[in-house]
Amino acid sequence: MLLHRVQRRAFLKTAPALALLAACSKSTTLKLALNWKPEPEFGGFYAATFSKHGLAVDILPGGSGTPTVQMIGAGSVDFGIVSADEIILARSHGNDVVALFAVFQDSPTGIMAHASRNLTSIGDVLMDGTLALESGLPFARLLKRKFGFSHVKIVPSPGGDITSFLHDEKFAQQCYLTSEPIAARRKGASVKVFAVSEIGYDPYTTVLAVSGESLRKNPDRAKAMAAAVREGWQSYLADPKPVNQQMHQLNPTMDLDTFAEVAEVQSPFIETDATRRNGLGTMSRERWETLIAQFKELGDISQTIPADECFQVL
Amino acid sequence: MKKTLLAPLIPFVLLTLIAEFLVRAGFVRAYLVPAPSAVLRAMIDSHAELLQALFATSVGSLAGFVMSALTGIAIAVLLSSSRGVQRAFYPYAIFFQTVPLIAVAPLLVIWFGFGIQTVIASAFVASVFPVIANTLSGILSTDPPLRDLFKLYGASPLVTLFKLRLPAALPQVFTGLRVSAGLAVIGAIVGEFIAGGGLGSVVETARTQQRIDKVFAAVLLASVLGLALFGLINLLSHLTLRRWHASEQ
Repeated sequence: MLLHRVQRRAFLKTAPALALLAACSKSTTLKLALNWKPEPEFGGFYAATFSKHGLAVDILPGGSGTPTVQMIGAGSVDFGIVSADEIILARSHGNDVVALFAVFQDSPTGIMAHASRNLTSIGDVLMDGTLALESGLPFARLLKRKFGFSHVKIVPSPGGDITSFLHDEKFAQQCYLTSEPIAARRKGASVKVFAVSEIGYDPYTTVLAVSGESLRKNPDRAKAMAAAVREGWQSYLADPKPVNQQMHQLNPTMDLDTFAEVAEVQSPFIETDATRRNGLGTMSRERWETLIAQFKELGDISQTIPADECFQVL
Repeated sequence: MKKTLLAPLIPFVLLTLIAEFLVRAGFVRAYLVPAPSAVLRAMIDSHAELLQALFATSVGSLAGFVMSALTGIAIAVLLSSSRGVQRAFYPYAIFFQTVPLIAVAPLLVIWFGFGIQTVIASAFVASVFPVIANTLSGILSTDPPLRDLFKLYGASPLVTLFKLRLPAALPQVFTGLRVSAGLAVIGAIVGEFIAGGGLGSVVETARTQQRIDKVFAAVLLASVLGLALFGLINLLSHLTLRRWHASEQ
């Protein structure tokens, strides 16, 4: 599923394959590792004309749990898609990974519940029933700290699977606002969603990142990459259709109608006031500082990480 | 006995030292492979959480394993009753062997709900086949002259089963149990990935937090659990077989 992908088996499946790929190809084709299957959240990457910027880029689809942040640090890929929270954790462990372009300006992570429960806020979800969460994620622990988990049964996130949700009126689950709710509504469920940003946790998501070493050695390449990606997103936002066709070929499990719907639902997360001022993919020091402070408060990082080292807008 | 404990310790200590050196000297990055000392620290720092998880996983794997042992042996006895039964049902036993647990685990949650029942079911599915296969092969390979002897004295099939065929199959039954002990732990952890609880959850959470030291700590405990189960079977095997079977003398 689309969620934070720091999950399970796909790691076992993809890591050796990618390692093999890394070992075999010695050409100058750059590798861009996605952390999920080709879906609209990556539309701009597939829309990008890298050759125009003098680059040859192989886009490697990922799966649930593809450890892109480690792959970037280990040098097995040149670029990867991560989220801002992963970068902070990675940097705190000495993995020098830097954000270049933030596709989702606001985190599309949320919680979906059945509308029949008449819940009015994210806190209500925690008062009753079952909630499927990746409990290691920072927002899950922020929720726990804020509301406590004593009234709700916490179970592991089923990835993008919504079967349990459809079967149980009292079942709520962590989701991407641009994904599972759409699937659930298509199955006839009446869904109420709550954005996690409601509790003040809002990391940049679907972030193009590179290793610090590569950025220092080859700043022009990173710059060209960011420019190509920015143009790709401009083109995808203007007309997602052709690229949706192309991604549908790569990922036939998502039908074209869903591609179109998701592309539409996600655009307000990508195009915001900030991007209209500063261009797509922009990031601000304040936002990074807020996030770092939240990690410190949670006790996930002990030392302060300089926000400026986490990102570079090229 | 002393030597059997000492011998496996040597490679363990050596590997640990080498790993520690490689990480400390910077040959291997600590966020890809943790230094053994970091794993140890994670174990100490999170000992309460880890012990609780280890207990939950032990319960899940042990319950699944006992179920596998009992039903596995029962199924093997039934299968051995006639060629026809064997032909009809053995393929289904193989089904359990080949079923990709990871793919069906999410279904187990839908069938059994979130909780230990799913963990037990997962441990059972993962570990039942080796018991069936080994027990069956043991029962079917009873020494023919002994079988003839029982026939000669007019022993009923039931007496032959309990006095001859099952006891003679014990070495193979234990082989099956040894294999399935490790598989039960794997099955339980896969179940926990999906249904929550135990070491599976710790691994999952620690991985999300990029705490590979804690991932390794939990994995190490899971291995210790597997080893303990294995040791338990060895002890049982020794106690039952030492008086008559060459493998335990």
